[in-house]
Amino acid sequence: MAGFSELVKTFEKTKSYIRDFFICGFRTRGDFQQKSSRTYDDERRRAESWLGGALRFDDSVRGRQIFLSVDSSRIYENPLYQMYAAKSFTSNDIRLHFLLLDLLADGAARSLNAVMELLVTEYGVEFDPQTVRGKLREYADEGLLIAEKRSNAMFYRLAETEPVLRLHENPALAEAVRFFAADDAFGVIGAEMLREAGLQNDIFLRKHNYIVHTLEDSILPELLSAMEQKSTVTLRAYSARFDTDDREGKRFEAVPMQIIGSLQTGRRYLAAFIPAEDSFHSFRLDYLGEIRQGAVFPDYDRITEKYQALSRRVFGVSFGSLQGGNDAEPLRLTIRANPETEQFILRRLEREKRCGVLTQECAGHYTLVFDVIDPNEIMHWAKTLIGRIVSVEGGTAMLRERFADDIRRMQAMYGGAKHDDLS
Amino acid sequence: MTIFHEIYGAYYRITARLLRRGRMTRQDITDAIAQDGFRDSMLFLPQKLIPQPDGSDWGLLHETADGTFEPVTKHLPEHPLTLLQRRWLRAKLADPKIRLFLTDEQYDALEAALAETPPLFRPDQFRCPDQFADGDCMTDPKYRAVFRIALHALRNGTAILLAYRTAHGAVQRHCCLPVAMEYSQKNDKFRLYCRRIRRGKLTGSTVFNLGRIISIRMLRETPENAQTRARFFESLRCAEPVTVRVTDERSGLARFLMEFAAYEKHTERDTETGSCTVQIWYNRSDETELLIQLLSFGPVLEILSPPDFRQKAAERVAAQYALLFPE
Repeated sequence: MAGFSELVKTFEKTKSYIRDFFICGFRTRGDFQQKSSRTYDDERRRAESWLGGALRFDDSVRGRQIFLSVDSSRIYENPLYQMYAAKSFTSNDIRLHFLLLDLLADGAARSLNAVMELLVTEYGVEFDPQTVRGKLREYADEGLLIAEKRSNAMFYRLAETEPVLRLHENPALAEAVRFFAADDAFGVIGAEMLREAGLQNDIFLRKHNYIVHTLEDSILPELLSAMEQKSTVTLRAYSARFDTDDREGKRFEAVPMQIIGSLQTGRRYLAAFIPAEDSFHSFRLDYLGEIRQGAVFPDYDRITEKYQALSRRVFGVSFGSLQGGNDAEPLRLTIRANPETEQFILRRLEREKRCGVLTQECAGHYTLVFDVIDPNEIMHWAKTLIGRIVSVEGGTAMLRERFADDIRRMQAMYGGAKHDDLS
Repeated sequence: MTIFHEIYGAYYRITARLLRRGRMTRQDITDAIAQDGFRDSMLFLPQKLIPQPDGSDWGLLHETADGTFEPVTKHLPEHPLTLLQRRWLRAKLADPKIRLFLTDEQYDALEAALAETPPLFRPDQFRCPDQFADGDCMTDPKYRAVFRIALHALRNGTAILLAYRTAHGAVQRHCCLPVAMEYSQKNDKFRLYCRRIRRGKLTGSTVFNLGRIISIRMLRETPENAQTRARFFESLRCAEPVTVRVTDERSGLARFLMEFAAYEKHTERDTETGSCTVQIWYNRSDETELLIQLLSFGPVLEILSPPDFRQKAAERVAAQYALLFPE
């Protein structure tokens, strides 16, 4: 109990625990071997405190299980947003916050000296001038205050919010914010605006909703800023494998290009150029840490053009290991569908083929040709068509053999049932 | 400008709420903490808000002669939108879906207010390669009109009459009560969750794709609708969860747990084999989607039960086997 706080100073350490609790419901204390049991207990207690009913316990044969079992298509606010409301602060921080906003509430601009004087005369409190100056500058950076230089002194006044941007005065905007507060990226910002206004989402639901993505919002601004400023970043990438205790990770200097998210697999990536290797890589966003923006990358525009050209030959996120070298052959998938009764299959192929080219081979047979860098990426999607795949040609020999072997093993697994028309 | 900042924190929010109310009792303070705080906040927060003899509180309240508390501040603690919030709103103006909520005039007014604010991100900085290509056209005036009426009906709990084009092209008329609106980024479509109305009573549940609603209008009479939403979701839920076994071959476990993170599920690992047994709850209307999603994991995953669900998987696999390995 002593020393425990439900608030945390840094986001990154705690988010890996929350991700593990949420994604790997079966993991127990023993699975977090690299951490001390006290750290684990503190993190678990914080997670329980923040997430309330969304974090459930179960007794299993291995000891106490922790798992978050949320049907995310039935929730109106992402429970993981609570993490963003748990930043620690000092007594000075919170006291100055409310006193500064109060003494600047009249909209007048004041110098540091005037602010210091008012703190004493109006509220009877004395602060170190450096502390107050630091807070005024910080709030100017956050947009709460406007800083103006007059003669040789800085003056600060409260920023104004236009009536059209106030949720209470613009119900149409409030409704839009209710909807966007569930967004994959930065929805937490909208949710905080709603809470501040005493509003909540009570109408909008999201299907295929990976609420865990909000944990990556903490690193996105740095990456987006680097893209905007055409800069490099240094980043540390950790292994995503369960059986790997990767504490060190690997450091890269990278030029961020784009955030790529799969709506099927739930995984999100940073696509980036690695100057040292003269190639493009995709890094799992949820296994990135320690991102620092670097210098402007002089060749940014040329690399971006190259990236865009390459992206047209990427099915998902893989830029392959043979960029500019010996690509795999185009992959040809032939699919069976009755044109009279199974139009829904054709519609599926049309809307899900991405960069594939669809042609009709003969009556009832349709071929998708994918001229992509890494055809292996297609096969996870292709297997959603199990029962209809007439042939797999091209790609690589290993890909074709693995698919055939998978079907053999699945046939053995399910015992060779009879088949009728599929729906 | 940072997203993880104490100004967005629960403690600041609770404090602002209390300062806003003016005079307060000890009970008011604990009520506010109970309502807006974390589970353990009651252990930490009261002694920071209530003046302490040793001065260890935050000094934002003082005690009055009658034992109540008053803020030391003189104005309501309203703070302006932060730069982060403004930049987020500016970015959202580039999302076509915002047009569903705003008239053109409202949109222009927002754009003017945020003209000097750089967006937090641009749409082309994000890409979702597997988003379906046949999403709803959010900027179509007819679609926007249908959306507006549906949203208005939802907000006001009003029954609606709509003409709907089915997947087979037939046009049907439905009288119903909307209970929620769902958006799928994967499908890029909105769906309206409704309870059906027959002879003035709520009778069943149904889901409409907004893009297929031909016409919609609000009705004057709306039936009693207590527990409407809960009953709607109960009616969708599967009778029995699907149970699967997943092995860690080809990192199957990590891939599966991430891909199915959106589902309600119970996961248990067999320490001897390293495999996991997972129960998944789903909507009955999503059964086929779930089935093909599970099959896409190949032999890394086996569907164990219910028997009829497993049988559907077995039929597809047998059909595939026959196609690849004809006798």
